[in-house]
Amino acid sequence: MIELLFFLILVLFVLGTAVPLIGAGKDRRDIRVLSLACTAAASALLAILGLTLLLTGTMLAVTVWQAFPGIEISFFIDRLAAFFLLLIGTVAACTAVYATGYVEHMEGGNRRNLLCGGMGLFVLAMTLVVASHTTFSFLFFWELMAAVSFVLVMYEYKDAGTTKAGIYYFVMTQLSTLFVMLGIIALFVLTGSFAMAPLHITPETAPLATAAFLALFFGFAIKAGIIPFHKWLFFAHPASPSPVSALMSAVMLKVAVYGLLRFLLDIFSPDLWWGVLILVFGIASAVLGVIYAFKDHDIKGLLAYSSIENIGIIFTGIGLYVIFSCEGLALLATISLLAALFHSLNHALFKALLFLTAGSVVHATGTRDIEKMGGLAKKMPSTSVLFFTGAIAIAALPPLNGFASELLLYIAFFQSVAVVDPLLKILLFICLALFALTSALSAACFVKAFSSVFLAQPRSDAARDAHEVSLPMLAGPAVLAAACIILGVFACQIFIAAGYVIPFPDLLLVSLLLLFMAGLTYLVLYFTASRETRVSETWGCGTKSQPAITEYTGHGFSEPIVTIFASVYRTKKSSTKTYSDTSDCLFAGGTAEIRLVAFFEEYLYRPLGRAAMKGASVVARMQNGCLDTYLLYVFIAVIGVIVFLGVAA
Amino acid sequence: MIPDFVLCCILNTAVVVLISPLFVSLVKKVKAWTQGRQGPPVFQTYYTLAKLLKKETIYSSQASWVSRVAPFACMAAILTASLFVPLVYVTEPYGGIGNIILFLYLLVVARFFMALLGLDAGSAFGGMGSSREMSVSAVIEPTTIIVFAALAFVFKTLNIFDMVGAAVSAGTLKTPILILLAISLFIILIVETSRIPVDNPETHLELTMIHEGMILEQSGKNLALMELSAAIKQTLLMALLINLIVPWGIATTLSAAAILAAAIFFIVKGSILALIIGLFESSMAKMRFFRLPGLFMMAFFFSTLIIIIEVFA
Repeated sequence: MIELLFFLILVLFVLGTAVPLIGAGKDRRDIRVLSLACTAAASALLAILGLTLLLTGTMLAVTVWQAFPGIEISFFIDRLAAFFLLLIGTVAACTAVYATGYVEHMEGGNRRNLLCGGMGLFVLAMTLVVASHTTFSFLFFWELMAAVSFVLVMYEYKDAGTTKAGIYYFVMTQLSTLFVMLGIIALFVLTGSFAMAPLHITPETAPLATAAFLALFFGFAIKAGIIPFHKWLFFAHPASPSPVSALMSAVMLKVAVYGLLRFLLDIFSPDLWWGVLILVFGIASAVLGVIYAFKDHDIKGLLAYSSIENIGIIFTGIGLYVIFSCEGLALLATISLLAALFHSLNHALFKALLFLTAGSVVHATGTRDIEKMGGLAKKMPSTSVLFFTGAIAIAALPPLNGFASELLLYIAFFQSVAVVDPLLKILLFICLALFALTSALSAACFVKAFSSVFLAQPRSDAARDAHEVSLPMLAGPAVLAAACIILGVFACQIFIAAGYVIPFPDLLLVSLLLLFMAGLTYLVLYFTASRETRVSETWGCGTKSQPAITEYTGHGFSEPIVTIFASVYRTKKSSTKTYSDTSDCLFAGGTAEIRLVAFFEEYLYRPLGRAAMKGASVVARMQNGCLDTYLLYVFIAVIGVIVFLGVAA
Repeated sequence: MIPDFVLCCILNTAVVVLISPLFVSLVKKVKAWTQGRQGPPVFQTYYTLAKLLKKETIYSSQASWVSRVAPFACMAAILTASLFVPLVYVTEPYGGIGNIILFLYLLVVARFFMALLGLDAGSAFGGMGSSREMSVSAVIEPTTIIVFAALAFVFKTLNIFDMVGAAVSAGTLKTPILILLAISLFIILIVETSRIPVDNPETHLELTMIHEGMILEQSGKNLALMELSAAIKQTLLMALLINLIVPWGIATTLSAAAILAAAIFFIVKGSILALIIGLFESSMAKMRFFRLPGLFMMAFFFSTLIIIIEVFA
């Protein structure tokens, strides 16, 4: 029964991918709707499948194709995989519904058909990565996922920005696959099979096992966008169409998280320092991600950096899990792992919500620059409420889901008193302080994002003429927003239902109290206060009218933080002045500039890129296309082989 | 136990709403005395609030739904937070109420809405206030969390009710750690209530404009809500400091006499703290905005010191 459902889902995904090919070359709306409907139905079924397996605790194992003994494509879904399938299904279903409205506004004839098909294939690939039973099929579908997402990122291939994003994404995603492949090969050498079975480490195999872990960790970290491997994220998310950014940011990064968890839980028995490594990378990404997000004024770029932050938080949870389980603190380990998993789900929901509503805003205004928006709360009231829900969820405000998962992490941190090693304890407290900084900054960041986009006066003609989007573009995000609220409010009940007994406050009670207090305030004021209201101009110090240019903008809003964290941003301020008299009194003109140095690009990627170019040019000189040289190479090679064989004999 | 707790919550909320405006006026009075002025009557804040309730509410023509919702959301968040700090009566906590992290984040909810409110009308004053408020809060947050982690460390619990309960039964000031905690908590109190040297609550001039800047566009009942919620927040943070450091007189049994005595005790202790706040504020000059992180670092080091003492002692 459940196998049939799984096959039905696969068939529907394949249909969703194949249908647009029938209409290739034609710009047909019905085909696109049909394709997305297949994807949405398949995703919804996938979510149901995940939920059923998660609740019943049953497992599903299917072998599809066996090429050789040992090399096979087979699927296995346990609770961990079911949880991630639930995540993929929910987000993909909402995204597909949203896309039915969104693709019609995209440019480019039958490219739109391909986008619909590509989305189906992308979701399918991610599903199969999660469902993979062997490391071989894991790698196979991992590469399929990378390839399809690359094609989707390149949708607007004529833009210069997209080309740059494409190159970055291609290089990084292939590096990621390379590392994952190295890790899997190392595992194969250790165990002689592609099965995901626990690894028995003896002192002789320990270095290779560690190397395998490191390779896998870097592979997944690159895909997840952990700093300093985050560079592709910031280019690829803004450049791709919004439903694709939503899928990439909300789901694809989680597939990397799944990969790390799968290997950590099922194969390795981790050391303490692995946990510290993951924790340090995680917390660094969390802090730097939100700091970079804060200064960004491209709405999708801001969301992309904020994904780096949230992935950092998830990695922090995983790191804590490893540390606590090595220290033998079972309850704290459970709480941390639960925090990582729950935050993965929550981040998928609210980040998809934010990317989709941001897509609506970008569509309505025709720009991604938040400085050219403003005042959209009146033009797009429903979108503004949906974005607002996402903003409170991501800013970790109670009682929404973002808070619930961060609270779990806080509980784990606060109770880490029991950790024995004092040095470790100090590390944990430093991480706690940085984590607190992260969540405070993300609140500030989303105050900025929401207010610059939706509040005050429109700052451009496009924003002035903006209009509310169509129903499908509201329906998809609305489901996600509802999920954000439900997962937050009922968090405590969900944990109890899932069988986790942990000290967690009852957020349902808190939300009821919040509602009660708001109602009480309203009632008291209704009977005691004056009910007269009047609408009048904003007070502008006596000026007659206030042009939109005098408002506080995103740049102005972020200035204090940019100044306080100038050392992190590597801010460079420069100014030039010219004077119209000889004694420099009468100011004639000048320029002032604040430049934020892209630290990792300047100091890590460019030097690496230059080194690679240099290496390539050496190789290129050897490949000179002249027959004589090649004959020489062959000659040297033959001599070398003879000498080698002679020595070996 | 649950009816007991409900009663405790009702008592708490009633007391905090009734007392808060008094402390606001008291601080003003103390500041006036140190400057050689007579100052407003101690019940002035009550008169102001009553007057504001009678006035019509004016919304900016640029304002969206945020301006209509935010004052209520602020008040609801602060009132809910008030259930988390026992003022006069301490009992067994229930359903996670009293969780110190949840308490902090309820304050953040209020701040989030207030910052949006400041930006909604499109005035540069409000925007500047919001921007500074969020920056200050972002920088103080690590300190606050570490201070509360230190509290959790010292009292071995995450729940404020349990902490106060422990403080009451243990008497007070047994260890020097509590003095360090008191200093850190005092700095947090000053920052969170936007007082000198961080902000000046008396004016909304450009230099000091943080909290007052944000609510500049408010009027009538909305302004009353914002003022009262700020006052309640101040009382809550004061209560946290008072009840953890000098927990004398808090009622642990439910009797009218004990509650009344505890309320009077609390007003006396609160007034003394208000006096200290007033004197502290009068003896300081407003700091330059970008010098503030230094002040926060001080609180941070005090609390880190506590943790290090606890870790290695």
